[in-house]
Amino acid sequence: MTTAIDTDSQTRIKEIVCDVLELEEDEVTDSSLFKEDHGADSLRAIEILAGLEKEFKVTIEQSELERMVNLDGVYAVVGEALAAQK
Amino acid sequence: MTLSASAPATATRPVITAWSAVSPYGIGKDRFVSGVLAGQDTSTPLDSQEWAAPDSHACLIPGFALREVLGKKGTRSMDRVTGLAVTAVRDLLRDSGDRRTASDEETALVLGTTTGSAQSMMDFTRASLEGDKPFYVDPSLMPNAVMNCAAGQCAIWHNLKGPNTTIAGGRVAGLSALSYAAGLLASGRARTVLSGAAEEFSDARAWLDHHRRGEDGAGALLGEGCAMFMLESADPADAADRALAEVLAIQSRVYFDGDPGEALAACVDAVLRRGGVERDDVWAVSASGLAGSAGTREREVLTARFGAQVLDRAPAMSLVGDTAAASAAFQIGSLLAAAEQSAAPAGAVALVSSVDDNGVVACAALRLSAR
Repeated sequence: MTTAIDTDSQTRIKEIVCDVLELEEDEVTDSSLFKEDHGADSLRAIEILAGLEKEFKVTIEQSELERMVNLDGVYAVVGEALAAQK
Repeated sequence: MTLSASAPATATRPVITAWSAVSPYGIGKDRFVSGVLAGQDTSTPLDSQEWAAPDSHACLIPGFALREVLGKKGTRSMDRVTGLAVTAVRDLLRDSGDRRTASDEETALVLGTTTGSAQSMMDFTRASLEGDKPFYVDPSLMPNAVMNCAAGQCAIWHNLKGPNTTIAGGRVAGLSALSYAAGLLASGRARTVLSGAAEEFSDARAWLDHHRRGEDGAGALLGEGCAMFMLESADPADAADRALAEVLAIQSRVYFDGDPGEALAACVDAVLRRGGVERDDVWAVSASGLAGSAGTREREVLTARFGAQVLDRAPAMSLVGDTAAASAAFQIGSLLAAAEQSAAPAGAVALVSSVDDNGVVACAALRLSAR
């Protein structure tokens, strides 16, 4: 199931991810992989998860980290977490 | 409590072969040396946009924007005290270059501190208390709230794989670290030890100090920085050739009645005895120069022992403010600077006196190498 999220949220997610991974926004695409392409480790992944939880006031299970391998994956997970709250 | 790592007279004593400083004079040892020898005051008004401290002035490191100094990679969550230490260790390793004979595995790091970063500890706790959920915190900031963060990051950044130690010792921390470092060398746990101390300026520290500072310390300026020393065994001889100073002895004492006078006098006697030197051998004495009655008492005791001329050979440390944990490390640096400038007689002994108003005093005796 994929729940679309609005552009503003996508922009904010990208900012958070780029901040955690210490990347400029033009270095990341929706499909580039955090770990393989940007050198992220598991600690970075947790930081992204925690940053998103705080920003969007949602709870994301750690098992979702498996899907949060790139921006597309993160958009989907956050979209579902927001939808689950409604 | 006694810092008794001074080696027995028969064993080779450790030598300082290089050092670095990030100080209110700027980044780099040379800035510190020229500033401290010129007697340049480093007090600067605090920018109210940047700081929310109770003080109007402080002795800050000019231009220490962490991510500009160390780059953007790996620094997003780095706090100030960690940045100071990582920078000072970087400069130390760079300036000593290939002269370090020990491998990364044989290189230890010992860092003195008061309590790590009070600011990081308070920020992390505050975020948890104020957030909508207690776990809405930035996990990357958690390590900063632990006292040994700076020492650990120094090792990670610079690939130092030997023992990694943090010593919380207040103003005497630089000497406690040096003593511990000497122990690591003597016991064969390391061949080279990077030893020093760091203190950051922050709103949190300024407020803590504001509330605990006695009336007679009013008007004291806070300073910050980090000084690091490369400590090696004087054996083999090539290390002795490179030596800037030999660490003869380090001693400490405690006092309970608010007057450090007797404890300091006993500490001075002990360090001379352990170091095997006479009072007349002492060429320069660096006083910690604490504001208030403890500092006044320190100067009285030292002047009575050594005379004002010997004290005046060491640069005044009040110029860089109260650098707390970093203070004794800066004192060592100032003595090395003074020796370099004024051609200390061969074999001259320099003494560091460190007095903390929390009840601890410590002294170190160094034999300055002929330059």
